[in-house]
Amino acid sequence: MLRAGCQVLTQTALPAGKTGGNSFALEFVRWRRKPRWLPVAKSKVFRVPERKKQTEEERTELMRLHNQYKTQLRSVRQYLREEVVRHEETSTADHIVLTPEQEEAEFQKCLDLNAAWNARIAKEREARLAKEREEKVAYVQERLEAKQLREEERREQANQRVLREIELSKTYITRENLDAAIEAALANPVDHNFAIDLDGNLYRGRNTSQLTEASPNPNPEPNQQALSN
Amino acid sequence: MPLSPASGIGRFYAKSAKIIRFVRLGCTNRPFYHIVVMERRKNQHQPVIEQVGSYDPLPNDSNERLVALNTERIRHWLGKGAHLSTPAAELLGIAGLLPIHPRTYMSAWRNRRAAAEAEASAEKAESNS
Repeated sequence: MLRAGCQVLTQTALPAGKTGGNSFALEFVRWRRKPRWLPVAKSKVFRVPERKKQTEEERTELMRLHNQYKTQLRSVRQYLREEVVRHEETSTADHIVLTPEQEEAEFQKCLDLNAAWNARIAKEREARLAKEREEKVAYVQERLEAKQLREEERREQANQRVLREIELSKTYITRENLDAAIEAALANPVDHNFAIDLDGNLYRGRNTSQLTEASPNPNPEPNQQALSN
Repeated sequence: MPLSPASGIGRFYAKSAKIIRFVRLGCTNRPFYHIVVMERRKNQHQPVIEQVGSYDPLPNDSNERLVALNTERIRHWLGKGAHLSTPAAELLGIAGLLPIHPRTYMSAWRNRRAAAEAEASAEKAESNS
């Protein structure tokens, strides 16, 4: 674990260290024993990792095999490259070759189709717009009638109020008939000193009028009553 | 890390180096690989350009190690000049698409030698006892 970690630490200078093909034997370290900025441990400073043993015979054999493999792979690659080129030339997967007449016909067909669609949609749209217009006209008419009705009602009410005021104005006390009104009030005194029960019956409770008594010799008692009332 | 689709969503430059290699999926003590085409400089867990196969290195109940390869696309990408990682080259060599990789021969003869040595030692232990 530590050895693999050390390799990772020392190899970080090379960007290809992780992604390169020679990282096959590298152990995948998910969790490191120490942070990467720490130096190599004192006990491991002079440790030299052991190389894998490889005999001369094996080495030459591998060399031969590798040379052979590289040659074979090169020819396979060339074959595949030619195959790809051939395929691209012959296939019509992503580029369909058409003559100018065919292209023109195709374009004309698309244009006609588009025009037909547009015409159909325009018809539908006109019908819809006409219907909407009619609805709007009817709505406005209705609102106008309602407004007229409302106005008439309002005018009627105002007329009635004016008439009532005119009717009432006949009994108003003005500067001209002020003296007559005063005389009439003095001539007809009203006595408000009475009791009312829940049924609305009046109880006058006094045979003599207090007003006529009070005017010749006023005493404190009726004043207090008036105040309390 | 969500799995990117096999059709590939990886972005790449037209002239950048592509490579056919493994992406290690699965989990601890249970490797599983996707064989993908991606930009060579990218980390393996980045989105791929295209997935061209899968490889399950652990033998199943029938003692098979399952590999799936989209050979048509592999041929296409190799023809386009994609590189090959060593494990991917070994696998494709065993699959018969490419020549056998030297590393395969090497591990084979090392295994043979280890087996012969183990047999010899076992014989010697038998003769001694």
